[in-house]
Amino acid sequence: MNYDAIVIGGGHNGLVNAAYLARSGLSVLVLEQRHVLGGATVTEEIFPGFKFTVFSYVVSLLRPEIIRELELPRHGLTILPLESTITPLPNGDYIYRGSDPHETFRNIQRFSPRDAEAYREYGHTMYQMAKAVKYILGIRPPDPTSLHPRELLALLKLGKHFLSIGEDNLYTLVKLMTMSSAEFLEEWFETDPLIATMSASGIIGTFLGPRSPGSAYVLLHHYMGEIDGVFRAWGFAKGGTGAISEAIANSGRELGAEIRTEAKVAKVLMRGDRATGVVLESGEEIQARLVISSLDPKLTFLKLIDPSQLPDDLVRIVRNFETQGSSGKVNLALDAAPDLSCWPGDGPHLRGAISVSPSVDYIERAYDEAKYGQFSRRPYIDAIIPSMIDPGMAPPGKHVMSCFVQYAPYKVHKYTSRQANKEEPAAENWDGQREAFGDAVVDTLSEYIPNLKKIILHRQVLSPRDIEEKIGMTGGNIFQGELSLSQLFFLRPAPGYAQYRTPIQGYYQCGSATHPGGGITGAPGRLAAMEILRDLRK
Amino acid sequence: MSAAYDFIVIGGGHNGLTSAAWLAKAGRKVLLVERRATLGGVAATEELIPGFRFNVGASDAGMLLPQVIDSLELEHHGLEFIENPVAAFDPITGLTIWRDAEKTQQELSKFSAKDANTWPEYVNQSGRFADILTQMASLAPPALKGSPTNLLLAWARLALRLRALGGKEPSPAIRGQFKSSMMEFLRVLPMSAYQFLNERFESNALKGMLASVALTGLDQGPRAAGTAFMLLYHQLGRRSDGFRSTRVARGGVGELIEALAEAAMDAGAEIRTDSGVSAILAESGRVRGVRLNSGDEIRANTILSSADPRTTFLDLLGAPQLTPLTSRRIRNIKLRGTTASIHLALNGLPDFPSAGGDTQRLTAAIVICPSMDYAEHAHDDAKYGRISEHPIIEARIPSLHDSSLAPVGQHTMSIIFRFAPYRLRANDWDSERERLGDIALDTLSKFSPNLRSLIADRRIITPLDYEREYGLAEGSIHQGQMSLDQLHLMRPVPGFVAYRSPIDGLYLCGAGAHPGGGVTGAPGLNAAMQALREMR
Repeated sequence: MNYDAIVIGGGHNGLVNAAYLARSGLSVLVLEQRHVLGGATVTEEIFPGFKFTVFSYVVSLLRPEIIRELELPRHGLTILPLESTITPLPNGDYIYRGSDPHETFRNIQRFSPRDAEAYREYGHTMYQMAKAVKYILGIRPPDPTSLHPRELLALLKLGKHFLSIGEDNLYTLVKLMTMSSAEFLEEWFETDPLIATMSASGIIGTFLGPRSPGSAYVLLHHYMGEIDGVFRAWGFAKGGTGAISEAIANSGRELGAEIRTEAKVAKVLMRGDRATGVVLESGEEIQARLVISSLDPKLTFLKLIDPSQLPDDLVRIVRNFETQGSSGKVNLALDAAPDLSCWPGDGPHLRGAISVSPSVDYIERAYDEAKYGQFSRRPYIDAIIPSMIDPGMAPPGKHVMSCFVQYAPYKVHKYTSRQANKEEPAAENWDGQREAFGDAVVDTLSEYIPNLKKIILHRQVLSPRDIEEKIGMTGGNIFQGELSLSQLFFLRPAPGYAQYRTPIQGYYQCGSATHPGGGITGAPGRLAAMEILRDLRK
Repeated sequence: MSAAYDFIVIGGGHNGLTSAAWLAKAGRKVLLVERRATLGGVAATEELIPGFRFNVGASDAGMLLPQVIDSLELEHHGLEFIENPVAAFDPITGLTIWRDAEKTQQELSKFSAKDANTWPEYVNQSGRFADILTQMASLAPPALKGSPTNLLLAWARLALRLRALGGKEPSPAIRGQFKSSMMEFLRVLPMSAYQFLNERFESNALKGMLASVALTGLDQGPRAAGTAFMLLYHQLGRRSDGFRSTRVARGGVGELIEALAEAAMDAGAEIRTDSGVSAILAESGRVRGVRLNSGDEIRANTILSSADPRTTFLDLLGAPQLTPLTSRRIRNIKLRGTTASIHLALNGLPDFPSAGGDTQRLTAAIVICPSMDYAEHAHDDAKYGRISEHPIIEARIPSLHDSSLAPVGQHTMSIIFRFAPYRLRANDWDSERERLGDIALDTLSKFSPNLRSLIADRRIITPLDYEREYGLAEGSIHQGQMSLDQLHLMRPVPGFVAYRSPIDGLYLCGAGAHPGGGVTGAPGLNAAMQALREMR
């Protein structure tokens, strides 16, 4: 069988890419190495009756045009709102930010009336910023070194867009692109725990601390969510994030795409300087005119093809592409509902996020440990209880809890006190430390949820190394590469190759390591499809 | 009352003097007022200890832009540069960076054959990037408001100029870098020194030494995005051979100040020391003159302030003259001084065994920063409001170049200490000053056993002293840290374009304006040119 296109990797971006290509009438085959689709966007029944959103756990960034064009609601996608974020504090108090702005206002007012006012203004500014940046999420990055009329026109349009958002907004945007999340927030707020818990959304998935320049941008990245036209609302997909992948896959299948699981690609086949298909690890060869990789660039450029066929400069930059993961995941199966000491019993706070981020120094110290190659003894945790939102995730009366944890560096070494002159820690296997990491997470959570230890039935602990082993993402980086300034927009994944093409004819990229980056957006998959279809029309 | 002067320049540091000299040379009537008794600000050479003269802040003048030297004929006014053949020396390992790339390669081959191999290419590439930054230093960032067409044109012009620079003479050594070195330049600018250096080198000693330069004046560690830019920024000016410029002004950086002052006075500028400004006078959005601490008022229609932006706009001008948004932006400038210095009068030349008796190596910057993680740890302390227990040390013995700085047979040593945060959480600077000196000497003495026994006297300048004595708010030697969010069109604050301020006739000509700190003369020169063009 000969296909028009083969998409390597059945994560959400690969599936989106395939669905769009199929929608344009191409015969498409998706090849996924695992037995389930979704990559990091997956729901799995790890313990009987308990369904885990094993890796990614919330959604807000999924592009509305994809939901619309691929008719995802018809294919089973239902997004349930996450009601709130509660940040328990060591003194027994808490900060609660919910869907009701008045309630949030009153809650913040208890700490600082000024901050309560600023919170509204801040929300308004971030809405403006998100609107300004939304445009960029929807375009293919131009190549500023090219003098091709198309690139010049794109640059001009980009310039016009920026000027159209107004001077003050532009300055705020530059600040967002260059500052640390904590410092950006300190220009607005005075309550340290509020700054801390807000700054935490700037560090999710990155190897940065709240005081690291560049983390403010990620703050915006997480503000760009749009569910039913409502900015910055996070949601939970009914059935877990895997249901998103399923919906996209179903849409793709209906449009004619073929999807195979347990089909791991070993190499891309080449004839001359053209990609002609793939060979699976089983030895099976499949021919296609186009091959699209949704994998990270280290796999796309260094493993699936022979790097000697690529320009040296590209190989150098891909080798240097920062993919060291920084986050781990602890998934818990619970016998009963967790009980927070700061807000006992049931309540809307259990249907939202529980954020362990009591002070900026707390998160910064967690980062300090990770910088030198240790997991955080007292980590930042973003926990949700999916079964509270979607009872189908756990047996009746029981619960699942998904804990996103930072920091867990890909390379760890044994805990020692300060090592002044040791640069690269000896890479040690996580095997010796995985459970200690799990214990640190449970111990930390237990300080705020006293009944937690008693109700844990099972636990799954995932380090970045486990993420890499299970789903292939190099370094276990959840964005397939840091969202740092030198790895964004026309620099993602490498300058000159940010337009979804590769130096190999007929070989494309469509994963999170291309613009606009990670998160369950589907945007790279869609933009890559547009670019491929454009080339085909030539 | 009619104006007695065309221009008043506030502050007699190197930027203020550059402005004054340039305006006077253009035939204008210029008055420069300096609060202290000596000129130079933190680029002064002063007798801190009787008989011993020290560079109180800036340790050399190698970053000075060629156009400043040329247009003000500074060489004619007595400025003489010595090209020191050695740039940096690591007393722990003995690693030395020489101007001669081959010699450095030989040194590096003891640490890493790969690094030795990479070195010439690195010198070449960073030199080219520094050239681009040098060009950018004299281009004022365009505005963001105005007619869309004009704006696009202004920005396109800047982009084209940069593009042309990047495309020029792509040397074969770096052709493998990328389609165009411009792309690599764009990629590198927002990087951390950590990533930039890890991509290029493997030796901790080398990476630590290079990273130490990038952290000058910053409240950041080497993992902070933007520190790669600072690494390149410090190579501004003439060729710097991979580290910092090795040009030293004969007689200390103070000689530069004397040459500038002479150039200014020769051209007819009037310079008054002991004349602190207590207020900048403005009426209905226009500057009218200054009031001195003595109570005297002096009129002028144009004022250039080389004081830092916070001092200029909030203390001297006053927030009521500004919109609330502008005052907030100025208050939000991250100053955050982290630099302290220790100045030693020595009874002899200290011995550094790792120099193997080669005194020439001791004429370099003696740098203790054995790895990038060492630097990161040093900054970790500062992050939580503490003095670095294991600081980055940059020591110099200027008396080796110039015996006039110390009595016969004796020497001076100035030590730059990082990080010494202006805001200490647990103590105050008056009680921590001597402890800081002890930490510095403990650190250095490990590699120079006889250093302590040679000390005749010492003076310590903390960030608080830089504020009190030299007028730098929060002791920020760059008048606002040069982090990515405070550069280019964001410097001094968003909305201030081309050295202007919201007050007509009031310009900023110090390090707080584009391109920033260091002894470049760029803000002083650029602001003077701008002010002259717009003179009323």
